[in-house]
Amino acid sequence: MSEILIKNASVCDPAQGINCETMDICIRDGKIVDSVSENAKVIDAEGKLTMAGGFDGHTHSAGKINVGRFMNPNDAKKNLVPGLSGQVARTEKTRAQVGYNTPNTYAIGYRYAKLGYTTICEAAIPLLAARHTHEEFKEIPILDKMGLSLFGSNWQVMEYIRDKEPEKLAAYIAWGLKASRGYGVKIVNPGGGEAWGWGKNVSGLYDPVPNFDVTPAEILMGLAEANERLQLPHSVHVHCNNLGKPGNYATTIETMKLFEKVKPSRDRQSLHVTHVQFNAYAGTSWRDFETGAPMVADYVNGADHMTFDLGQVIFGPAMTMTADGPVEYANARMLHEKWSNQDIELEDASGVVPLFYSPKSFVNAVQWAIGLELALLVKDPWKVMFTTDSPNGGSFVNYPEAFTYLMSEKRRAEVISGFSKMALDRMVLPGIDRELDFYELAVMTRSTQSKMYSMPEKGNLKVGSDADIAIYDILPGHVDPSTEYAKVKKAFSGAAYTFKNGEIVVKDGEIEETPKGKTYWVNAKVPENIDTAMQKDIDRKFRKYYTVSKANYMVEDMYLQKPVEIGTEGVF
Amino acid sequence: MQVVKLSLKKANKIPIEADNANPDNFAGKTAEEIGAIPVWYGNGQCPLGDLFNVEVEGSGSVENTKIVFEGDVSRVKRIGQNMSAGEIEINGNVDMHCGFGMKGGKVVINGDADSWLGCEMAGGEIILNGNASYYVGSGYRGESCGMRGGKITVNGNTKDYLGEHMCGGEILVKGDAGLLPAISNNGGKIVIEGSATMPASEMKNGTVIIKGEVFDLLPSYKEEEGTEEVEGVTYRKFTGDVNVGGKGVLLIK
Repeated sequence: MSEILIKNASVCDPAQGINCETMDICIRDGKIVDSVSENAKVIDAEGKLTMAGGFDGHTHSAGKINVGRFMNPNDAKKNLVPGLSGQVARTEKTRAQVGYNTPNTYAIGYRYAKLGYTTICEAAIPLLAARHTHEEFKEIPILDKMGLSLFGSNWQVMEYIRDKEPEKLAAYIAWGLKASRGYGVKIVNPGGGEAWGWGKNVSGLYDPVPNFDVTPAEILMGLAEANERLQLPHSVHVHCNNLGKPGNYATTIETMKLFEKVKPSRDRQSLHVTHVQFNAYAGTSWRDFETGAPMVADYVNGADHMTFDLGQVIFGPAMTMTADGPVEYANARMLHEKWSNQDIELEDASGVVPLFYSPKSFVNAVQWAIGLELALLVKDPWKVMFTTDSPNGGSFVNYPEAFTYLMSEKRRAEVISGFSKMALDRMVLPGIDRELDFYELAVMTRSTQSKMYSMPEKGNLKVGSDADIAIYDILPGHVDPSTEYAKVKKAFSGAAYTFKNGEIVVKDGEIEETPKGKTYWVNAKVPENIDTAMQKDIDRKFRKYYTVSKANYMVEDMYLQKPVEIGTEGVF
Repeated sequence: MQVVKLSLKKANKIPIEADNANPDNFAGKTAEEIGAIPVWYGNGQCPLGDLFNVEVEGSGSVENTKIVFEGDVSRVKRIGQNMSAGEIEINGNVDMHCGFGMKGGKVVINGDADSWLGCEMAGGEIILNGNASYYVGSGYRGESCGMRGGKITVNGNTKDYLGEHMCGGEILVKGDAGLLPAISNNGGKIVIEGSATMPASEMKNGTVIIKGEVFDLLPSYKEEEGTEEVEGVTYRKFTGDVNVGGKGVLLIK
């Protein structure tokens, strides 16, 4: 029995409404408990901000990131955030680390832990390539992991929606999650991945997918229905149509409105829209491109059925990777960049393109502003999850830098002073004076995630929760984030302590221990007769089209490290 | 003026990565201090003094520091990496990545150089009195901008991919270049006095002058009308590579 007592911590835990109050936290056997015995190891956290371990709810850290690694081997030596990037030789405790946007798996684990993060959610697992994702998960130390499985351009899904077979669709989703050991339903540019197989894209919610006679709106509604029927812990996780196109904010709002009628089966949102920064563009072309964030934020402020994440841009090199194949083709052509494109057989597409966000480019400057505008114009932080869509908007190692943008108007003004007049005319950020406090930051980096993924044991410090805790060497009230943002950045760049399951994994910004993390996945129960009928349909798909057999398709348990199976009961 | 003489205690088979061996790190230091500087030897680090005899004469600033490698260092990589000033003289053959990313100063090699000589260099000068291997003045794998500034003079021949992804600076090869010199370059100037094969493919920008014979000139180059004279020599002028919408200039005889 291991016991730890964290004394006099300045605790910020929005899930319990605790706003930087001095208190003790007791840990026994990896869980937070009421009290511990006198033998407990005592950690003095006086004067230190203490939060639940950070939870990155949308990051590309396993799977497609590997394509990024071999497309840009030069990323290995990039060291733009010293201490959290570049080449680091192995030590007694850590393995060798390389990279910035696409670090090696070990570096991903160490660096997230140094930032005080303890859980990550891989944003896109193609069912067919899920085994690879789990093999990478296995080699990411410390962190707990989960992933979202892609269903938005899947033949079987579109056929069931076209043929109006919602029960079989739900059975297929349950099977797909099991096959990929996934946690939730990800929809990327619904229908667009299939259209891309024909060199096309879908232009909006009501543009039919070639050969399937379904529209993106029908795909979204069909999958949402199946998602709620299976009572999955997370809502559908949507990357909207028309990503990266001027004027797309209208499609984004239309998509959000579509979900007003979806009734969530659990106490959570019915829709999560991801990296909205890339989907909140106004204008009609790159010439008259401008922010669409005020319109999107306006809608979100009046809606209570959804959450979203930012996809904040960080200036410098980034690596875009998405299942949105046509977008990556457009990027590669527009920027004359390297392009990787993959066809995931019957399931989806994907692409990877490196790019560089420059403050001198008015488009990039406005993109940078849109992410922050979304975070600051949406009044309720519980609807917002902080992300950079790492590494699409920039590497996660820049989170501390991005926190200063959210917490300090002065810091924002400093960055904005380098923008062109044209860029300033296209954004509303200079007129926003809101500055987040530590409590709101904790909501966006921990609490929202816990709620939206229905993970009550994560992202909070309640008794019974996992003892994943981040302690930062900064004391709210004694440091003014709006002027002393350098201190904020320093504190968040290297946690004084990071606890993972009650074990000290980071101390004074350095790795102490590298335990293995858990992998969460969802097993949704489906009546046997429906499952059998559905299996007949996919058997035909495997016989006729797939390059692998069904027996070789499923991810076996041996690929999962410390699997945690979350069971749900489908309603049929 | 400070002169630091380094010679290997015994020939090494396992490579030494001497990326710390540059005037910036040696200036103003005694032989003991220089001997204590860590270098990579295989998969572990050890003090430079364990592998090299170190002799120091005088003391000086970075600009006034000269490092002399005596004897064959053909298994010592990354000599002069990131140096900003001063001089390095190598009296023997040298291993890969010599002068990688150097920003200033001068490297003179009285021997042959292995691949990646002056890779991603941004300033300064490299003079090679011997032959070079592959990828002189190129970019690291995946990098879209190789050599950015400075000058490399090769008094012998080079192998393939000379100046790959180069986007600035100047390379002069007195002998022959191998296959595909100036591939994917986007600026800078390359002069080859000997022969070259399939030069300047995918060139977006820059100038390539070939005084010797050109084998397999790519069909994606457009011959301009008239001729161009450079330093008293008349060349045929080609522009391209049209495959990438390039505006590069290729001058051949």
